[in-house]
Amino acid sequence: MTQTVLRAANITKRFGATMALDNVGVDVIGGQIHTLVGENGAGKSTLIRILGGVHKPDHGEIYLEGKLRHFSGPREAIAAGIATIPQELRLVPSLSIAENMALGDWPVTRWLGIPGIVDRARMHDEARQTLRLLNFTANLEIPVRDLPFGERQLVAIGKALRRNCRVLILDEPTAALEKHEIDRLFDILARMKDAGVAIIYISHHLDEILSLADRCTVLRDGRVAAVSRRGEFDKSAIVEAMTGGVVNEFSPDAALPGQTILEEPQRADGISLRTGELMGLAGLLGSGKERVLRRLFATGREPTQVRIRGIPTRLSAPVHAVAAGMGMVPGERGLGLIMNQSVRENILLASLDRVPSFRSRDNRADERTVEALLELLDIRPRRPELKVSMLSGGNQQKVILAKWLARKVDILLLDDPTQGIDVAAKAQIHALLRDFAKRGGAVLLSSSDLGELVRLCHTVITINRGRIGTRMDGSHLTEQGLLRAIGGG
Amino acid sequence: MKFKAATNGFELRGLMPLATLAVLCVVTAVATDHFLSPLNLSNILVQSSIMTVVALGMTFVIVGGGFDLSVGSTVALSGCIATLVMMKAGLGLGIAAGLAAGALVGLINGVIIAILGVNAFIATLGTMVLVRGVVFLITGGAPVGDEGLPRAFVAFGSQRFLGIHYLVWVPAILLAVLSWIMQNTPHGRRIYAVGGGREASYLSGIPVERVIAWTYVWCGGLAGIAGVMLAARLQSGQPTAGEFYELTAIAAVILGGAALHGGEGALYKSVIGVFIMVVLGNSLNLLNVDSYWQRVAVGIVIIAAAAVDRLRWRR
Repeated sequence: MTQTVLRAANITKRFGATMALDNVGVDVIGGQIHTLVGENGAGKSTLIRILGGVHKPDHGEIYLEGKLRHFSGPREAIAAGIATIPQELRLVPSLSIAENMALGDWPVTRWLGIPGIVDRARMHDEARQTLRLLNFTANLEIPVRDLPFGERQLVAIGKALRRNCRVLILDEPTAALEKHEIDRLFDILARMKDAGVAIIYISHHLDEILSLADRCTVLRDGRVAAVSRRGEFDKSAIVEAMTGGVVNEFSPDAALPGQTILEEPQRADGISLRTGELMGLAGLLGSGKERVLRRLFATGREPTQVRIRGIPTRLSAPVHAVAAGMGMVPGERGLGLIMNQSVRENILLASLDRVPSFRSRDNRADERTVEALLELLDIRPRRPELKVSMLSGGNQQKVILAKWLARKVDILLLDDPTQGIDVAAKAQIHALLRDFAKRGGAVLLSSSDLGELVRLCHTVITINRGRIGTRMDGSHLTEQGLLRAIGGG
Repeated sequence: MKFKAATNGFELRGLMPLATLAVLCVVTAVATDHFLSPLNLSNILVQSSIMTVVALGMTFVIVGGGFDLSVGSTVALSGCIATLVMMKAGLGLGIAAGLAAGALVGLINGVIIAILGVNAFIATLGTMVLVRGVVFLITGGAPVGDEGLPRAFVAFGSQRFLGIHYLVWVPAILLAVLSWIMQNTPHGRRIYAVGGGREASYLSGIPVERVIAWTYVWCGGLAGIAGVMLAARLQSGQPTAGEFYELTAIAAVILGGAALHGGEGALYKSVIGVFIMVVLGNSLNLLNVDSYWQRVAVGIVIIAAAAVDRLRWRR
């Protein structure tokens, strides 16, 4: 039972200028849970995509049960017995449980060896037997979309089991689960261990890792920072390996925050922002940190009650939030930009109501605004007529910021604004946010990069399963402290 | 350098409709004797005029990311209402009533689609049938007018001003004014923004529902103008008028280079699209192509335009 099922050795993968994985190896043993941890961008996702056949490594080998394998796509990896359960489950919502489990590999009736129609009886039998192994009984006819997330996840695991997977890869499986669902999942993982399946488990929750892991590999900046066995590691060792044990330089360089500009007096866990303040929101995936931003920007059905500079204001749509002086940079760039329009139109997008609807725009003034912002934000190339879809990710993000600066907003809400953009653009966006705050603006940003929050913010609030956790500022604000506060359960 | 090449390519593709029209004209002029005769050219202009007005309205809706199947019925409704009111209350009130009827249908479409969130195809399919029913109810299925129409109205449908038909002046003036609104005013830019990215516009503080509702009001109102023009030309309000106008208008807008998913297109390009359709029909007529075959040809052109649209967006 204790033999290596999957071995990846010397895996190197480069995306353009970024080295995603640098000579990474991992051994996964049958009947064991191998946890994979690391901060965002450490290379976890790239590694599991390579193991799952989505990406091809530039260098390195993958051995499955001792045999060297090359996967040309996810289909081959699945056929070889490597199943991945991503955060976004790959199920067809309108199809039934049984159909989803059989998807792509339907049992068919045969007549003289000629394949005929889908054998529904066998399809249901197989689904029922597999789900019995998971201790999950349900009406197999109901469409998957009617199941809660936890049960949909079980269907996905069942689908993997039905195809005799040897390696099961779970990417942050508990992020969207309730407590009792997590207990059930862990129970199932224990059964699968007993059946000899090798499990790769990605998580940010350090408590989960400590209770589950037979082995733990820590990735940092695309390299293996530590590998250890059960009993050999504890929380602080993992945290140190993840962050590199760097002392975090907290630099209170910005002017001290001034008077309160935005508050939510009717909520016990409301946000309160002051002018000149850079406030961060830290939390794991599924913690609900971006929901705080959406609430303040009134994107949901429920109106938001706030006080802006002491004046009670009811926000029932983003239109009102913008009118009240707020701007939001959403987590997906496609939600911040009109992709088929020019850089100029996108920058002016939020300022259209500055002129009456049926009056000609002041083209000369618009031109000056756009030119100045291209210069200030170093948006390249400096071509306002270019379609915004032609720009790089970092420059697109700057155009979104320029859109709000053109409107001269007082409050910026940002959802992971530097995710997936290059280091230089990241630094420029940081400098810009600092400058925005120094001129009396207020910034609330969520980030999955804890180092970014520590370097940039005066105050960081941690969010845990939808609730406000601790509040850290001054010398109490450290990356390691944050990591413990958000992942420590 | 890479960027330059890409934009040039785009501009070239933007010239496709105009090039198509030019080739069509040259081929027809060479192949037939009468294409360039003043009478024929004037015919083409008059034939295009009413469809152009409908297509201008359709452009607002399609650029805004929508769709309107009800314009054909609206053309009939406003033509019949205009002639009915005209015979009782005079020319001015009649025209106003016709336009108001069109704008009202547009407003109803806008509310159903933008505020209630009903799919545009289904909503306007519903109003298309409903409005046609209303037209038959108020007219009893018989044409309105003939004798009792004001003389000025009949003259408007057939006379010329500065050598050009009044019917042609209407779309020309509308094109100039509406293009200015579309390109230079915040109202017009909001329509492009909402069509190009509804969610992003919403998150940029644009009142998305109101902008979408406005596009249907434009479309209905312009269909109303087209209805009045058609009644003047036919010297009566015809309850069966305007059938298949919606399909021709949509085809013309797409032929002109607008994207069916919104955010792209321009009024003048849609006018080019209308001319492609009309010149094609004219050319097939002059070439004595059987009218059944003409339908086949028009169908092929519409599919080809849609296929070009797909290929364009695949890159």
